[in-house]
Amino acid sequence: MPLLRDIKGFFPPFWITLRNMFRKPVTVQYPEQKPELPERYRARLVLTRDPDGEERCVACHLCSGACPVDCISMQAAEADNGRRYAAWFRINFTRCIFCGLCTEACPTLAIQVTSDFELSGRDPLKLVYEKEDLLVDHCGKNVEYSFYRQTGIGVAAPRGGNPNESAPVDVKDLLP
Amino acid sequence: MTEQLIMLALILIKLVLVFAVVLSMAAYLVLAERKLLARMQLRYGPNRAGPGGMIQPLADVIKLLTKEDFIPATADRGLFLLAPGLSALTALLTFAVIPFGPTLELFGQKLPMVVCDLNIGLLYFLALSSLAGYGLALGGWASNSKYSLLGSIRGLSQLISYELAMGLSVVPVVMMAKSFSLTDIVMAQAQIPFALLNPPAFLIFLISIFAESKRTPFDLPEAENELVAGFHTEYSGMRFGLFFVGEYINMVILSSMLTVLFLGGWHGPWLPGIAWFMIKVLAICFLFIWVRGSLPRLRYDQLMNFGWKVLMPLALLNVLITGACLLGMG
Amino acid sequence: MPTLTIDNQQVTVEDGTTVLEAAEQLGIVIPHFCYHKALGAVGACRMCAVTVHEGTFKGLKMSCLIKVEEGMVVTTDDAKSVVFRERVSEWLMLNHPHDCPVCDEGGECQLQEMTIASGHGVRRYEGQKRTYNNQQLGPFIAQEMNRCIQCYRCVRTYKDYCGGKDFGVMGSRNRVFFGRFKDGPLESDFSGNIVDACPTGVFTDKTFRFKSRFWDLQEAPSICPHCSLGCSTVPAGRYGELQRVRSSVNEKVNGFFICDRGRFGSSYANHPERPRQASRGQWKLTRDEALVQLDSKVRELIRQHGPEAVLLLGSNRASLETNWMLQRWAEKIGCRAPLLSAHLPRHLAAQVAAFDLADRLASLEKIRQSDLVVLLGVDPLAEAPMLAVALRQAVKKGGQVLAYDPRSIELPCVFEQQSMSPLQLLELLDQDKSPESGRLLDLLKKAESPVLVPGGDLLGAGGLLRVQKLAVVASNQTRSCLVHPVLAGPNSFGCGLLSLPEQDDLLTQLESGRIKMLVCVETDPLLEAPNGERFAKALSRLEELAVLDYLPTLISAHTKLFIPTSAPVEAAGTFVNNEGRQQLFVPVMEPRLPIAVTGSGSHPPREFLPEAPGSDPRPAWQLLQQLLGEEVELAQLRERMKTAVPRLIDFDKLQPGGVFCRVSDADERSCYADEISAQPAGSLQLVVSPARYGSDLLSRFSEKLKPRFTDACLQLHPQDAAERGLDDGMKVALKTDCGEYYLTLRCVEGVATGCAVVENGPAFPQLVPGGKLGFCQVAAGGRHD
Repeated sequence: MPLLRDIKGFFPPFWITLRNMFRKPVTVQYPEQKPELPERYRARLVLTRDPDGEERCVACHLCSGACPVDCISMQAAEADNGRRYAAWFRINFTRCIFCGLCTEACPTLAIQVTSDFELSGRDPLKLVYEKEDLLVDHCGKNVEYSFYRQTGIGVAAPRGGNPNESAPVDVKDLLP
Repeated sequence: MTEQLIMLALILIKLVLVFAVVLSMAAYLVLAERKLLARMQLRYGPNRAGPGGMIQPLADVIKLLTKEDFIPATADRGLFLLAPGLSALTALLTFAVIPFGPTLELFGQKLPMVVCDLNIGLLYFLALSSLAGYGLALGGWASNSKYSLLGSIRGLSQLISYELAMGLSVVPVVMMAKSFSLTDIVMAQAQIPFALLNPPAFLIFLISIFAESKRTPFDLPEAENELVAGFHTEYSGMRFGLFFVGEYINMVILSSMLTVLFLGGWHGPWLPGIAWFMIKVLAICFLFIWVRGSLPRLRYDQLMNFGWKVLMPLALLNVLITGACLLGMG
Repeated sequence: MPTLTIDNQQVTVEDGTTVLEAAEQLGIVIPHFCYHKALGAVGACRMCAVTVHEGTFKGLKMSCLIKVEEGMVVTTDDAKSVVFRERVSEWLMLNHPHDCPVCDEGGECQLQEMTIASGHGVRRYEGQKRTYNNQQLGPFIAQEMNRCIQCYRCVRTYKDYCGGKDFGVMGSRNRVFFGRFKDGPLESDFSGNIVDACPTGVFTDKTFRFKSRFWDLQEAPSICPHCSLGCSTVPAGRYGELQRVRSSVNEKVNGFFICDRGRFGSSYANHPERPRQASRGQWKLTRDEALVQLDSKVRELIRQHGPEAVLLLGSNRASLETNWMLQRWAEKIGCRAPLLSAHLPRHLAAQVAAFDLADRLASLEKIRQSDLVVLLGVDPLAEAPMLAVALRQAVKKGGQVLAYDPRSIELPCVFEQQSMSPLQLLELLDQDKSPESGRLLDLLKKAESPVLVPGGDLLGAGGLLRVQKLAVVASNQTRSCLVHPVLAGPNSFGCGLLSLPEQDDLLTQLESGRIKMLVCVETDPLLEAPNGERFAKALSRLEELAVLDYLPTLISAHTKLFIPTSAPVEAAGTFVNNEGRQQLFVPVMEPRLPIAVTGSGSHPPREFLPEAPGSDPRPAWQLLQQLLGEEVELAQLRERMKTAVPRLIDFDKLQPGGVFCRVSDADERSCYADEISAQPAGSLQLVVSPARYGSDLLSRFSEKLKPRFTDACLQLHPQDAAERGLDDGMKVALKTDCGEYYLTLRCVEGVATGCAVVENGPAFPQLVPGGKLGFCQVAAGGRHD
């Protein structure tokens, strides 16, 4: 009997809402009461450094390519030692939706999320962070990884001197 | 001469009082609805403006008045400006015929607790509630936006469908009270409210006023998740405010009508008449809010089916049966 | 025309097609590295494996090497070939470093794409990776050999296709190395093509190093504005900066490659001194104010001094639309028809090409297939570099290349050069005056598809008319002898096409004193016409001088009224190339100051502006429309232009980035009276040749090309030098009609006797190529400064 079923189904919601009215609300009264955030909470982004204290970011544009709202922009440049780095790096937090896709795309673990979510203000420009504002003095969540030791080009160590590499070949050697 | 002056003064005072009470009721209904809904959803609701959020309505009014009054470039300007006023006005006017208490004796004058006791009060109510459709139709049409237009088309067809059932459901009341005057109808319920005498008519009327007030589960004209905000999508500031206030005044009025027609108006033991009236009206307002918190929205075809294939025949049948019973009882 | 089945789809293709190409026609992409349409297949990478079920050779085969057969059945997605390709990919990746984030190829890397496509993900081999030491290959190409997958495409492009000699492959087994014998800049003028050819990041564009990722670039099909060939290119810009140019495909013109001048000569658009705001002297104006001033001044002068007082000057750098709108504007204000070139001899040559030669023009594709190409006063590497590559293809196919030229020319192929002074060259073309004429005519008549390639600059209009007569004589019923004239600028042909009766020389007009005002549109007579000094004098006498340009030329720095226009990469337009091909280009980016400039190297300025700084320039045709008061869409403008100039092709039929069509043949003929002045005794014939880099203004203002600019010198045949008692390396004085210049002498065997060759370039801009036949005296001495 669909009609009977419908009529039976009509009443429980009223009971549930009525019951809820006498329960304690779950709302956290935010400014006075601070919320407890999960460990992997995604909020403000930072640029970390590698274990040697150098900037991890190589300005590869993968984060800006992954960013669904186009809030990351940068310009790559080359340092004297061959290191590729970001000449400038800008995250517009008025646009950022804290999806964390940039951190997943980052091949050098440079860009990482922190749990600092209190980003609001009346001046939008104060939410446009430049590299100076983003760069931190620690390794963030991984304290061992150094991209330039894995790349296979001679920046962190001379060519052929990185782990799992043989020394440069002698191209004029014709021995079998 | 002085009697007439006193009479006039009393009528004016009555008018101002009714006006003030209805408007502030509408304002605080908004707050009450937000608070109650919040509690039903395990939230607090507005609690920042004033103690427990008590001056939230005032804050809302200030906000609405200071907002930009935006008129879309392609809107039909005249109608666009007219529509919200029409919506609030028709709602307010209806209150003229609603008796909210027994006749009072003051300065030797008999003072009926109704702004104007029309002998065709019920028809006046039905007429004005139909007129309210204009506010909605014009608002949606003048905005020149697809969401608004869809909203107002839905609203109009819904209004027409449910007005029929509503009109038919009050026929037994008229038959039982033998009068169109609302005061007489209340008087006829001195012993036993019509809700108990004729429960089908009461239920049909109850359902119809939910549809008439465009509230859940019949809030299709402004279904947020389909039509943004339905017919008032393009409205902002106090013009939106007028639509909003109109809706809540309408809620008060429809609750009052239900009280008057079926719940015996101001009749009740121990307490003064006016208090009973208020208690009944507020209880029905709570019901409105409770239903909104509990029921989901109907689909449009379900709404139409229900109106034309269930409510209408039921109401007609009820008229017949009531007529037969009255005839049989002589 | 065999029909075969690939992955259950039937396709009918030409004989000799490979399975890979047939699959491509069906839209099935078979992964590949070593196969390239222009270079062919070598079967080195083993990536394109497919399974052949029916056919002469059954089983797993390399699709780039297997020719199609009737009734062949091939699958590309069967388990066997899929697994094989995945293994190949894994093996190619064994030594490939994990440096994609710091590799410029990342994002447009064929290796990345094919590895993903083949399904290889995790490296299972745990041994050590092979590494190389890199070479310094000069200012244009960066090398990172660790990334190499040995597909040999670079060598095949650089050496086999473009004829470079200083780059190759060495080493053995898995130590194979692609590079030069020792460090040093790549010498070929087509070195940039290995960047496009390399499927991974071994060779990358050094001038583009770390500038952008492919997906951030604004790209659009364009036409190279550096010479008259009109190669298809894809320039790319980002943040207001034109960052690189890569070659596009136009099989009728450049094929798949472009020269280094076109590739690395693009930074004129971001020249630091490029004027980006309208100005009157020191005063900055808005664009609209400047246009109002220009309009009112023109009208005022015409009212005061009559229609002769104002002269408009078009240019072969400007698009067809601009030049045509200039003519419309002249009609409207009632002044005389605009001159479409400041350089009359070059313009006359272009007119001859556009009218007299119109029915026998040859495309570069025809040259690549020709069995006899005769260069008549053309140095391809200097005037039209991709012509040299086309000649190499002709020679590789068994063709013959003959060059008659006063200069010592180089070509990336085997050819026969006859040194000949310009006067001798004209005699050769006159057919009966020179003994060589008979041999040439014989060869032409015997050849199956001969093409004459005359140089407009050296031969002039008179020479081109002689070439036309020669072509008529060399033609027969079965085939006609085609001509591929090399002209001066990207739109020389178009300017000639638009202006038949116009014959006036700008300088004569200016010096007559009747002209009160000159409006130069995208041209600088001081740099682009002979007799710059006389021009300077004449220009200073003008009451008003207005310049619309996008380059920081001499004249735009000293003009009274300046209005900025957008560079070809920032505007839409049409160029008609030297063989009459009407080619469209579309804007790549908006004109604006690069962020690197506004942010002075650091982050972009932190301010909100309604418009980016420096975004004032507009296409010249748009400015002219504004002056005319008829601002219509480009499509409508083109429709009107097509109606007015019936020889043009309907613009609806052309697609930017396509192969385009040649304009239709002409009924009219140019009216040119030839006069050859007699050679004064003891004088030498002056040959002004464009330098390979920096002769055209666009490459002269390109920062990136600076390393290729050469020093100015005077070239003489050793015999002539000896007669005058001059030695190699001496400072000598060159006396010409235009003035006296002091240059270093170089004795070159290949230079024709009786000729003095100077190169017009950034180091020596005074003499401009393509002037009338001139004579000069060369003497020892000169200042040592």
